[in-house]
Amino acid sequence: MPPVLNPLDLVGRVNRDVERSLLRARNGVRYVRGSNRPSVGATPKEVVWKRGKAELWRYRNGTVRYGPPVLIVHSLVSRSYILDLRPGNSLVEYLTGAGLDVFMLDWGVPDELDADNDLERYVDWYLPRAVAAVRRETGSDEVTLMGYCLGGVLATLYAAGHDDAPVRNIILMATPVDFGEMGAMVALLREGRLNADELVDDTGNVPADALYSGFYMQAPTAEVAQKATLLENLWNDEFVEGFQAMAQWSRDHVPFPGAVFRQLVEEFVRKNVLMTGSMRLGDRKVNLADARGNVLNAMAERDNVVPPAAVEPVMQLVGDPAKREELRLKGGHVTFGTGRSAVKQTMPRLAGWIIEHSDERPEVEEP
Amino acid sequence: MSSNSPLWLKAVHKIERAVGEPIEAAVRTDTYFDVVTKATRATSKAKRTVVATSTRVLHVLNLPADSDVRRMREQLTRMERRLNRLSEDVSELDGSPRDRSRD
Repeated sequence: MPPVLNPLDLVGRVNRDVERSLLRARNGVRYVRGSNRPSVGATPKEVVWKRGKAELWRYRNGTVRYGPPVLIVHSLVSRSYILDLRPGNSLVEYLTGAGLDVFMLDWGVPDELDADNDLERYVDWYLPRAVAAVRRETGSDEVTLMGYCLGGVLATLYAAGHDDAPVRNIILMATPVDFGEMGAMVALLREGRLNADELVDDTGNVPADALYSGFYMQAPTAEVAQKATLLENLWNDEFVEGFQAMAQWSRDHVPFPGAVFRQLVEEFVRKNVLMTGSMRLGDRKVNLADARGNVLNAMAERDNVVPPAAVEPVMQLVGDPAKREELRLKGGHVTFGTGRSAVKQTMPRLAGWIIEHSDERPEVEEP
Repeated sequence: MSSNSPLWLKAVHKIERAVGEPIEAAVRTDTYFDVVTKATRATSKAKRTVVATSTRVLHVLNLPADSDVRRMREQLTRMERRLNRLSEDVSELDGSPRDRSRD
């Protein structure tokens, strides 16, 4: 027998649907017009060091209770605000709220002046100076490095390639080492297909559009389903804001400096050199096992950009075997910065690990 | 997608997956990557041919072509890069002034 509908329930439902339709209309107009854009990267911060396009930000969000300071090394292909997407949905906000002193090394938007930036420039020039700036700012002897995606490769090479690297901990988030397992993301660049120079434009860099196309082709029809879900939830301001922030980030790629792209194609993709456990950097050989500090290898089980199989070998290659730990997370590539499982699971587990491997500060200090 | 999503939304998701999965499988095949490689090379070759022709015409008319402007820009970029590196070296010798600003 079909359930008997209570007239009061019916009125309630009609009221709710009318209210939602009005909200949908309002938010729909705002969405189409492009007004009411979400605020991204909103955690208060201060630029404490700057060289070229690279900037070091120190976040100011409460009392620092633990040290050493955390330096996030962002990837070279995307914008760093994915790790500080929206208030209430931000890794940076979570870590600072947990009492950590957080810095972000943001690479900015490269142009022709950055076309000859190679791995050596990032690993041997920018990173040592950024780490020195963090130590100067905080008075700390050590840092905790946190690398996201390719930023994790840079952090690893820095920690392994510098005898004096003052690194207490390294957290590698979706950091690829086995490029043979990177699948469709790099398939166009394998031997016999496109050479690095064929993707480099007049500025000497790989244009942001080319990178966006690579990500887009991972799931070309997904946008239809996403837009339908948006339409259903258009009445919900918080959903719309989150959707817009994520959509903005996923289209907001930056050019990839040509010199480092050539190295990535030749050394990482074609020779898969990181899987040998070492690589030549400048005039020396860097052994990944020499990376200082405790290593946390964090990966997302449904990551299509950097699949777990590309990340897992970190456990055999990077740092001291006795100091390696693995963290498997639900979610995809962006679970390190945003999403329901990020707030419930990823952020608490990352913050917990860092605090466990940090010292409580004897004096409470407002940065 | 939650279990209490409306039927139309469930249908859209189902259709999207029905269409999307074969497309995603297709764009992961060697054939697709070979086609994209050939298409990219053909586009570049066509562009080079057009640019070479227009350059010849512009040079006959004693006018600068895009390639001349590009070469000039590359030289200026190289110069600016060298200046930047020199200024970095000097500021490091000076004791690096820090650029602070709040957001």
